[in-house]
Amino acid sequence: MTPTIPRISLGWLLLAQCLVIVPFWPHVPLWMVGLWLGCTLWRVQIFRMRAAFPGLLVKAAMVVATAAGVFMSRGVLIGLDAAATLLVATFMLKVVEMRTLRDARVLIYLGFFCVVVAYLYDASLPWALYSVLPVTALLTAMIGLQQTRLVAQPLATLRLALAILAQALPLMLLFFVFFPRLEPLWSLPIPSNKAQTGLAESMTPGDVAELGRSAQLVMQVSFEGPMPPRQALYWRAFTLERFDGGRWSQSEMSRGLPVAAWQPNGPQLRYRIIQQPGGRWLYGLDVAHTDLPGVRQMADFRLTRMQPLDRPLLYNVTSSPQAIRDLQLSEAIRRQDMRLPANGDPRTRQWALELKARYPQPDALVQAVLQHFHDEDYHYTLKPPALGADSIDSFLFNSRAGFCAHYAGAMTYLLRAAGIPARMVVGYQGGELNPAGRYLTLRQFDAHAWVEYWQAGRGWRSADPTAAVSPLRIDQGPEAALAGDEEFLSDAPFSPLRLRQFSWANDLRLGWDNLNYGWQRWVLDYQSAQQLNFLNRWFNGLASSVLPVGLLGLLIVLALVLLKPWRRAVDSQLQVYQGFETLLARHGLPRAPGEGAQAYARRAGRHFAAQAAVIEAFSEAFIAQRYGGQPADVRQLRQQFKAVRASLEGVHRVAVRESS
Amino acid sequence: MIARLRQGVRRWQDRRAPPVAQVQLGQRQIYIMPDRSGAGFAVVLLLILLAAINYQNSMAYALVFLLGSVFVVAILHTFRNVSGLRVAGAGTPAVFAGEHARFLLRLESAGREHQAIAVGWSADSLQSVDVAAGTALELELNLPTATRGWLAAPRMRLQSTFPLGVLRAWSYFNLGQRVLVYPRPLEGELPVMASAADDSEGEGQRVAGQGVDDYQGLKDYQPGDSWRRLHWKAYSRGGQLLVKEFADLRGRELCLDFMALGGDLEQRLSRLCHWVLELSREQRPFALRLPDCYLPVDTSDGHREACLRALALYGQGGA
Repeated sequence: MTPTIPRISLGWLLLAQCLVIVPFWPHVPLWMVGLWLGCTLWRVQIFRMRAAFPGLLVKAAMVVATAAGVFMSRGVLIGLDAAATLLVATFMLKVVEMRTLRDARVLIYLGFFCVVVAYLYDASLPWALYSVLPVTALLTAMIGLQQTRLVAQPLATLRLALAILAQALPLMLLFFVFFPRLEPLWSLPIPSNKAQTGLAESMTPGDVAELGRSAQLVMQVSFEGPMPPRQALYWRAFTLERFDGGRWSQSEMSRGLPVAAWQPNGPQLRYRIIQQPGGRWLYGLDVAHTDLPGVRQMADFRLTRMQPLDRPLLYNVTSSPQAIRDLQLSEAIRRQDMRLPANGDPRTRQWALELKARYPQPDALVQAVLQHFHDEDYHYTLKPPALGADSIDSFLFNSRAGFCAHYAGAMTYLLRAAGIPARMVVGYQGGELNPAGRYLTLRQFDAHAWVEYWQAGRGWRSADPTAAVSPLRIDQGPEAALAGDEEFLSDAPFSPLRLRQFSWANDLRLGWDNLNYGWQRWVLDYQSAQQLNFLNRWFNGLASSVLPVGLLGLLIVLALVLLKPWRRAVDSQLQVYQGFETLLARHGLPRAPGEGAQAYARRAGRHFAAQAAVIEAFSEAFIAQRYGGQPADVRQLRQQFKAVRASLEGVHRVAVRESS
Repeated sequence: MIARLRQGVRRWQDRRAPPVAQVQLGQRQIYIMPDRSGAGFAVVLLLILLAAINYQNSMAYALVFLLGSVFVVAILHTFRNVSGLRVAGAGTPAVFAGEHARFLLRLESAGREHQAIAVGWSADSLQSVDVAAGTALELELNLPTATRGWLAAPRMRLQSTFPLGVLRAWSYFNLGQRVLVYPRPLEGELPVMASAADDSEGEGQRVAGQGVDDYQGLKDYQPGDSWRRLHWKAYSRGGQLLVKEFADLRGRELCLDFMALGGDLEQRLSRLCHWVLELSREQRPFALRLPDCYLPVDTSDGHREACLRALALYGQGGA
């Protein structure tokens, strides 16, 4: 038995295949477009009897060639990217050798799996909505395989698929909310999405300028309770301590040493962060604490995890802005945060010594430096002129134009030269408030660098020279501070952020952002902790029984809607007639096998002469409704049956058993 | 052990589905289980669930729940596609042994559409049909016959995997249909003996009667005489109605006699069957004598049927 694949199903299959592979186009090599087109055309030609199915040799050659192609373009055949590419290639090739219904079913199952792999690359709202299309098409093709009709309507098949999907939706939601989420059974690599832009573990000022051109999402933050003012939102990622004359980088010590104990102090801020993939560190306002397992706090108060973040992460943070950091500074850290290159930048060193002589207290000295930045002719720009060999001297005394990393670097250098332990902090500043969702969105262009210095008796203190130079950067964000600077967002020419001056477009953009944020927070991050939270809040211990009870309830409703048992008028006629038979049998007159309704009624009429008319009337009504084409009217039948029953009340069994 | 178990299941199913003239499939009659491709579907769901757990991917969870729910909903749809269908047996013409008996089935929709309904004797010989809403259609199921006598239709299987092909709903029923199988006709010598009624008149004597071979003369028409033997020419000349009289060449009335044949029982019946057909085709009157019954001389179709029936049921004790 080799039933061929019906035309309608084949059409839906090819369409479904096309829809399934669309999300893969950015991630697979370009030649696969050709492979897909070739396979599809070949299959269509086979259907039109213009081409033959490939032989064993051809098939083997195609598989080897495709694997070789994947190896050439990916460099490997193992790993998730290559595996995904191979899966998509298999999905394309399978269509050519699809002969039987079984092959077609395998193709459909492969298709469902491809949809899942596409989710690993991108599960954001638009793609999630999009995936409804391939899933529907695959389901339609699946139904089409079962249809025997040659001239079935493709749209009727689609309608049935949509109906089934719609009916499955409530069940799915129930499962989604209540099905217990498990911890990963084993750890798996995530497909590398794209080149990540973002903070790097060692940076020149130019790297930060690079970030200013990107509108890529970094994180979204929602506060419990009132939000602190924008000027207080300094999101720490990590610190840079080492300076080699041009580049700042992390020291091993702050990366590897655990933090000294600190006491929470004063009012606390609680907030929830959804952080996008990239990097090993989490973000937080000083001083941050999180209960997320696997996260440690290091000597520079950064929060760090063992593995780089490969998927969006949701976590809760508690911050104590007034906590004192490192009342005692360890000797190793003091030495590290005082270190300067052996020579270079003589004018800066000279100036530092002058400042130190005038302001013996670090606080006063820092204030003086900030005042200097504010009063003198310093500029904030993403397009600074090139700096000379002594970069700090050249920046502080000649060009006087730069952005946060320049100012923070120069100030750190200056403080160290003045004998104050200091380091550069890298992270993000501010964020855009979404008024509808009451959350902050931080993008790469919010990247920022500032300074912290240590003072005996007060611990680490933060200072932001950029705020002194360009208060607008801190108050309103980089866009306002960089008005007219064409470097801003130059990597994102089509970003909707460019439309911010049009208020309707901005409202639209913020609304869309809000939707995505909700998606991320309530759907994509609906994992074990979130689920527990949600279920405890709404179902309070009943959660385990909601799933089975809800499932049963929904199924019953669905069964009633689908099967409409009350519409069984035909059966009710029979039921009434069976009641009539039982009644007569109780009076000693069972219906003989093979005896028709008419004959039975006549026989009954002979035995119960007094009731003959009622019996005859009932029997005739039954016959007319059941066989005579009269509309079914069970109520009338029932009434007549009641009349028969009433007339037989008190009548004794007939004594005579019929012999025939 | 397994064979006994299977027999037990079969008996249980027979008890559940006693022979009836018409069934309307409902939940008492319909069984439903995932079939092999349903197992494949389950494996795919399991793989997706594993991916969802390991990658902590909510959308993969959503897809696996969606497909799982589709599976659950498909149970109802598959059941619904079969449920409510009315199946009745229709008349079944008699056949000769060795031919295929053709059992007619009537599938009637009681309101909704039934797609891809497969009917047959067993799971591997099924015909697929669609029954549109509110219509009925007839279906012919063939069954090879080997021996004469009554052949009862075996249990019938009706199934459908529509709409998804991952679940199979099926039902067994017995419509109590049976077909009369005549013996297989077998050529051979004409098995005649002297007409039983006139045995005493001896061999070779010409016997007046309604033979066909030899013209003997004319006699007055009497009601009941065959019209084919009317002497039309004489009548057209204005004479009275006369009937031509023939006598059997061999001087005997044809009587197909079981005892005149050699061979085993079935062979004898097959020969007789052949001659019943042959003589009926030639419109020659004949009688049939079996050890337990005698069918007097006649040429009508009813006679032919009666003879064939007697041959088919000889020695089987049934009506």
